[in-house]
Amino acid sequence: MQKGLIITCPKYDDGTEYLFYFSKAIIGEAKNRNIKIKEISDKEVEMVNFSKVVTKLDYNLIVLNGHGSADTIYGHKDCVLIQVGKNEQLLNGRITYARSCDAGQMLGEKCVEYSKEGCFIGYSLPFIFAMDTRWTANPHNDNKAKLFLEPSNSIPISLIKGQSAQDAYENSKKLILKNLRKVINTKEEDSFVLAEALWNNYFGQVILGNSEAKI
Amino acid sequence: MSEQENSREETNEKVKELVIMRINAIPSTTKLSIGGSKTLSKEEMIEHVKRGDKEGKQIVQMHINFIRAVTSGKLITELNSLTN
Repeated sequence: MQKGLIITCPKYDDGTEYLFYFSKAIIGEAKNRNIKIKEISDKEVEMVNFSKVVTKLDYNLIVLNGHGSADTIYGHKDCVLIQVGKNEQLLNGRITYARSCDAGQMLGEKCVEYSKEGCFIGYSLPFIFAMDTRWTANPHNDNKAKLFLEPSNSIPISLIKGQSAQDAYENSKKLILKNLRKVINTKEEDSFVLAEALWNNYFGQVILGNSEAKI
Repeated sequence: MSEQENSREETNEKVKELVIMRINAIPSTTKLSIGGSKTLSKEEMIEHVKRGDKEGKQIVQMHINFIRAVTSGKLITELNSLTN
């Protein structure tokens, strides 16, 4: 296995478009640190291509953006990308961050079941983020989305900077809390719902397997 | 329906009402991307909560988890753990 990042960025609805744009910061950080990167985006985010890339490049950090469920992470237009019982062994021994819903419940457990080296960071609840419809054409300027997606970005960014999985996990949780405090203090019309959603991500974020893993 | 079931049903409806009130307060420019579903507008969120479908249950659960964190003191404890 070699040091490098494989990141999946499907882009076919508002939610995945936002994840696609916010993932640029992760890719930028990897470029700055001369870490090898393979971005799989748009229609390329499907099981056969993904399996081929992971097997061939054998990079040790995988970042998955997209919709998910307890046993599956989806790619382009909700096609299955990784599923328990089908190809979850591809993630064994690697550090995986899944910015998807619920995958920490079952898929994450399976990914670290057969390897002492690997680590999975994800969510055991739905991953939630807010967006402001006035900024959908420029997601990177959407301050509501930033409240959610910058803390989640900090997981792979911390790993790229050489920190352990546990540190990456804790950095992100701290950033969520800071944003939660900010939201509560602003007392805007949507503060309560934003706080609920931030707490959901804080409460649902999980780390499984080798928490001392580094790339 | 037994008295206990009636009471549970009534509580569920009251929780739904509360959640809908919260969502009603948000500006129509705020949307949420929840779970594996598409991004939801304020009106769509309310509709899901009323229907009590998967997305509606996720929204209600998000609310309950937060209220639990507030009432148990967990939220304050976690916020106080921030050093700056």
